Amino acid sequence: MFKIDKPLPMPTEESAPFWEGTRRGELRAQRCDDCGHLRWPPAAICPICLSGRHEWVRLSGRGKVHSWIVVHKSQHPAFWGDPFNVAIVELDEGPRLHTNLVDVDLAAIRIGLPVEVAFDPQNDEITLPRFKPAA
Amino acid sequence: MDDPRQLSGKAAIAGVGLSRFGRVPGTSAMGFALEASASAIADSGIAKSEIDGVLVLMPAQMGEQHGWASRVAVHLGLAPAFCSTMDMGGASAIGMMQTAAALVHAGVCKAVLCAFGSQTNPQGILPTMFGSQFAIPYGDVGAMPFMAHVGRRQMHEIGITSEQYGAIAVAFRKHASRNPLAQKRDPMTLADHQASRWIVEPLHLLDCCLVTDGGGAIVVTSTERARDLRHGAAKLAGFGQVHSSEIVHPDRHEAGIGGGREAGDQAWRMAGLGPADVDVVQLYDGFTPLVVHSLIVYGFCRPDEVGAFVSAGELEFDRGRLPTNTAGGLLSEGHLSGFNHVVEAVRQLRGTSTSQVPDVEVSMVTGYGGAPHEAPPTVAYTVAILTR
Ligand SMILES: [Zn+2]
Repeated sequence: MFKIDKPLPMPTEESAPFWEGTRRGELRAQRCDDCGHLRWPPAAICPICLSGRHEWVRLSGRGKVHSWIVVHKSQHPAFWGDPFNVAIVELDEGPRLHTNLVDVDLAAIRIGLPVEVAFDPQNDEITLPRFKPAA
Repeated sequence: MDDPRQLSGKAAIAGVGLSRFGRVPGTSAMGFALEASASAIADSGIAKSEIDGVLVLMPAQMGEQHGWASRVAVHLGLAPAFCSTMDMGGASAIGMMQTAAALVHAGVCKAVLCAFGSQTNPQGILPTMFGSQFAIPYGDVGAMPFMAHVGRRQMHEIGITSEQYGAIAVAFRKHASRNPLAQKRDPMTLADHQASRWIVEPLHLLDCCLVTDGGGAIVVTSTERARDLRHGAAKLAGFGQVHSSEIVHPDRHEAGIGGGREAGDQAWRMAGLGPADVDVVQLYDGFTPLVVHSLIVYGFCRPDEVGAFVSAGELEFDRGRLPTNTAGGLLSEGHLSGFNHVVEAVRQLRGTSTSQVPDVEVSMVTGYGGAPHEAPPTVAYTVAILTR
């Protein structure tokens, strides 16, 4: 049996500042210079006004659980093994992120649970933002 | 379009066909597309030379292959004036029929073949995992986690239970058990559903569609021409199509509703009909929560009544108010990307279903597909209303 590594992000022009942020312990998103829309996920163009001008702003890293599931059988062989949670967290600023919840029992997870970001370094370049129950 | 009704009933389905389907190793996606196409052309009785349009859905497993629709046309010995490969996932069959109807109405084509074939383990293709850098690293891969999130939100927002999902799966299996072509024909009980293993909580195995090798095809032409053909016209009275982003960008939708309602509204307006007029419906059922969602957004149930509706057997062909997925659906007949739903919708109008509803005048079919596993998830909803 050969082992397949879990896939890690390969940053693009649009997403590199996001991944640089997580490496430094900051959760960031793009805010449109022209209309002020805070967009997620990172993209070249604002979906409201089509402007390409934007700045990266730091987010609070706080939010609440919008949805959560437990994957028992993944389509991706790298995720075969013990069941694990996948959550969607709605940040206080609005964006909803796919993530995993850490430092929490499955039985304690519920929609609306307050959470905060927990940065999880994978290597020198990539740090994944996961979330834990808010202190 | 100023008046959506001007296209209503102008085009029709003249013929439908399915290839062999199920788990059929050693076959090819192209072979299934050709087999289904030949079957649909024969079913219609149209001369091959009359087909001057070809639309083909290329299966995702094949990766990027140029000119897929052209290849289907060449293998069938056709010389189309319009030929295009289309992809809206499970929304494609109806999206292709809508395109075909527009081509016929515009005078670009006289008869259009819409076709699909899929082999889940194709030769010569390295499996690729597609997914967003903002989803896949967390193990949020593919349609199953997406639909599990939809299910979790339905449980939270409208109080749907796993047993109510189970009632949907049981109803469709009952229909499949009467369909000699269906992939899963063994009877299923609610207890079987509840005992089936978790795939992605809150979804059990029996909440998920089958994995199927096979193909389907549809011949669309003018209603006038179809009337002179073998089975007459299954008129395309109404169409709807909307593209939506959910879960991550749900702010355009009411809580507990989600996207898709506009697709139904377009189809009702075009056909001049409403949910109460529907005699039988084929709802795109990749997963049981999608059936709940469709019953709400297409106007068959309010969010607070949908659970009781499915538990009361209202989807069953012989005792329900809304006979649904009467050949067994993607959950039990097979996953032919919704082509089998179109075929069954036509059978119901012709009176040839193995779970026939009496005196069908209005037969509805829906599609759903796209990139639910991306961030943001994007999906297409398609609707067609067929009449005699
Ligand atoms: Zn903008």
